[in-house]
Amino acid sequence: MLKPLTIGLLAVSAVLAVIAGHHLVRRKVVDDLMIIVSAIIEVGLLVMLVVGLGKSGAIADGGEKATFIAYLFTVLLVLPATIYIAIKERGQWAMAIMVSGALVVMILIGRLQQVWSMNG
Amino acid sequence: MADGDSSGSPALHTGRGPGRLLVAVYGLLALAATGRSVLQISEYYSRAPVAYLLSALAAVIYIVATVGLARGDRASVGVARVALTIELVGVLVVGAISYAVPDAFPDKTVWSHFGSGYGYVPLLLPILGLWWIRHTRTA
Repeated sequence: MLKPLTIGLLAVSAVLAVIAGHHLVRRKVVDDLMIIVSAIIEVGLLVMLVVGLGKSGAIADGGEKATFIAYLFTVLLVLPATIYIAIKERGQWAMAIMVSGALVVMILIGRLQQVWSMNG
Repeated sequence: MADGDSSGSPALHTGRGPGRLLVAVYGLLALAATGRSVLQISEYYSRAPVAYLLSALAAVIYIVATVGLARGDRASVGVARVALTIELVGVLVVGAISYAVPDAFPDKTVWSHFGSGYGYVPLLLPILGLWWIRHTRTA
């Protein structure tokens, strides 16, 4: 489903993970750059949600379709929750949380692609 | 501000510093396990009722552990410790059974095959969590 968007989202999420890793080493906190990159990912994920919902009828199995739709919504929530937790945490662990959040987004996008390619 | 003393403070709270990451990962696993068990029970219940009820039990335990670690007061951490212990026993027992008697678990659960479907996170997390509780208690 939407290969270019999937690959683009994976790439930007990887960029976010790298920025967070850099900030972790430099002992920085959540900054505007991270918020902007996260916002770009969220916009991409919104597009994915709309396209995905539109195409979800192609998945015949009810359970698989529900999984697909659930992933579409869940992946949208990960970064806002991650940023919220990372801002509350003032120490170095904030950036470890951001790295994890970016990786989780990548895993969920991968899972979405997997469910789609097996059923769509 | 209770949140201001998170870095370098000697007063350790289970939901601060590295604990914050642990709580976040627990929250995610709770979400994943809840989602999966709701789906399994509503869509395919007759296929493997025991496995699916176990999924639901695991989901509840993850939620209890997440809330307990995040709250971090003495009673909550006590509850979380019990939840984590059940979880560790559960993943070990169910993991072993799923290898010994594959027919008992025709469909994947969070705990079968020691959580291999979730990158072994369900096996590692209770160990990390119990260690973290010990660490914060003795500090």
